[in-house]
Amino acid sequence: MKPPLLNLININKYFGDVHVLKDISFTIEQGEFLTLLGPSGCGKTTLLRCIAGLESVHSGDILLNGSSIKGIAPNKRNVNTVFQNYALFPHLNVYDNIAYGPRVKKSMKEAELKERVRDVLDLVQMLGYEKRMPHQLSGGQRQRIAIARALINEPAILLLDEPLGALDLKLRKHMQTELAHLQKKTGTTFVYVTHDQEEALNMSDRIVVIDQGKVQQLGSPRDIYNNPVNLFVTTFIGDRNIMQVEVLETKETHSKVKLGDNIVSIRNPKQHRLESGQAATLAIHMDKMRVSCDETPNALKAEVLSIHYAGSQIRMELKVDDKMITVVEYQKTDCECEIGDLVYVVWEDHGAILLPLEDSGVEREV
Amino acid sequence: MQTFKRNILAVPILVWIGLLVGIPLVFVFVLSFLSRDSLGNIIVQFTLENYQRVVDPIYLRVFLNSLLLALLTALVTLVIGYPVAYITANLEPKKRAFSIGLIMLPFWISSLLRTYGWMILLGNAGIINNVLLAIGVIDRPVPMMYKFSTTLIGTAYMLVPFMIVAIFNSVDKLDRSLLEASYDLGASKRQTFFNITLPLTIPGIAGGFTLVFIPALGLFYVSDLLGGGNTIFLGNLINTQVTRGRNRPLAAAFSIAMIIVALLVISLYSKVAKDDREGLFQ
Repeated sequence: MKPPLLNLININKYFGDVHVLKDISFTIEQGEFLTLLGPSGCGKTTLLRCIAGLESVHSGDILLNGSSIKGIAPNKRNVNTVFQNYALFPHLNVYDNIAYGPRVKKSMKEAELKERVRDVLDLVQMLGYEKRMPHQLSGGQRQRIAIARALINEPAILLLDEPLGALDLKLRKHMQTELAHLQKKTGTTFVYVTHDQEEALNMSDRIVVIDQGKVQQLGSPRDIYNNPVNLFVTTFIGDRNIMQVEVLETKETHSKVKLGDNIVSIRNPKQHRLESGQAATLAIHMDKMRVSCDETPNALKAEVLSIHYAGSQIRMELKVDDKMITVVEYQKTDCECEIGDLVYVVWEDHGAILLPLEDSGVEREV
Repeated sequence: MQTFKRNILAVPILVWIGLLVGIPLVFVFVLSFLSRDSLGNIIVQFTLENYQRVVDPIYLRVFLNSLLLALLTALVTLVIGYPVAYITANLEPKKRAFSIGLIMLPFWISSLLRTYGWMILLGNAGIINNVLLAIGVIDRPVPMMYKFSTTLIGTAYMLVPFMIVAIFNSVDKLDRSLLEASYDLGASKRQTFFNITLPLTIPGIAGGFTLVFIPALGLFYVSDLLGGGNTIFLGNLINTQVTRGRNRPLAAAFSIAMIIVALLVISLYSKVAKDDREGLFQ
């Protein structure tokens, strides 16, 4: 069988006494868009820098196409990085910036180089900007040049370190789409670092959720979003209401749980087994919930505390058995309720999930 | 109103500069157009004779000596100063503070004393000759004093801290991610230094060059003590004209000529600094 493009095996990394990467292992396949997602300081950028060769690893191994690149200097690795601040050379114009890689490696004749620079500029839609200096470009344009400068080297993997972090919201959304297109068009493997869950969910084929130097979950965006495996992923991805419940009875796909005097049926987690009588955590996406005025089966009784109209959406704060929850609805249909009313909260089945209460290893304020 | 309030804070400094720099400068400028009698007294009578003597071939020679000394001093301090500044800027904070301390240490001692120190080192009966004689490398003292190169050693030694500090600031300011980007794109350390580090520290080099070149034009006691007056430099000439020659108007004319050379160098520097501000050099 063909080895994976990149194979990370038990990577450990320390900064002084701080253990920043803990036994990280996963593989990256040819042509995929993989995102390292986590809060700031979780180690995702360090991991990216280890792949680039800009940081060394203390133990473990990194295999590129089956052979170790652990001891190989960054300038000899067939991977390229798009840096967070773009790191365009300020004294070189766009053309010379892009031509930098091939020139230092002496891998092309000037004529061929000229053509290749044209190609990559075309790819990032920046033809005609060859003579501009970096300080004459906008943030989004610098971003494109930084990508072109990396892509001209035809890296086996393109590493992107929060490349959209410095852009404004509108441009960021636009660039998300463009990056995803570019990745499909070139077929280059992208490893993308971000702390923005929306970016990760939008663009990636697979997401690696990292926290405190550990891989918390690895899966497709849909999987990560709907089937979080632990409390950290549950709270980090999406906005959820978290409630403590008691498991009454557990069946193949669903369990009956008790919250105050409500008894409801909730989907079981994939990775964990629940036992009857156990306490568990119930997590429901705020935007997968709906408020109903009439008594409905499989619903939580709640009291309306406040209602906020925010453009296209309505945010409601409700009290369920002494616990505050938030419901976000995009259109108000069935129930005209007011503050103080008693209502019933229902949810889409796949928007709710149960997790064992004591979560392994993740100690964190929720 | 706001600008007025802000500007009022600059008044003490402007008064200070006006008194200590402006007035003497005007005085020297006016003096350079005046005559003197045989006793050296100033006669208030306009003349261009002083400037005619400045361009006299004999004195032009002195000019060239000084320019050469200043240029060589700047080059020597650059060659010595760049590596020191580069290494210092890349040290961890504690070692870096220590290194900067060592570079600044000589300023705590009178520069005249330090020049005498070089005489004790380099003289025929000096430390270097004595040591070499004692270990048998040479059998008679090697003359090292009273040469052009001795003066060069002295001025370079005196001015090298300015070069180091100017380049240090430039290297320190350098964005490390640019160097990482260079490695990442396949450049070796050497290629990265010549393609990225060196071009981006040109403002520091230009600053250091200016800070060294201009004082090197005028330092007179170093060439008096170490050069033994064998080569005459501008500083010596001005000094001699004021003291022994009793020709202050001529000294003033030389001073003005020197200031013009210095201004030329500064204007070159400010062109580089302007490019720097425009973002060419970060």
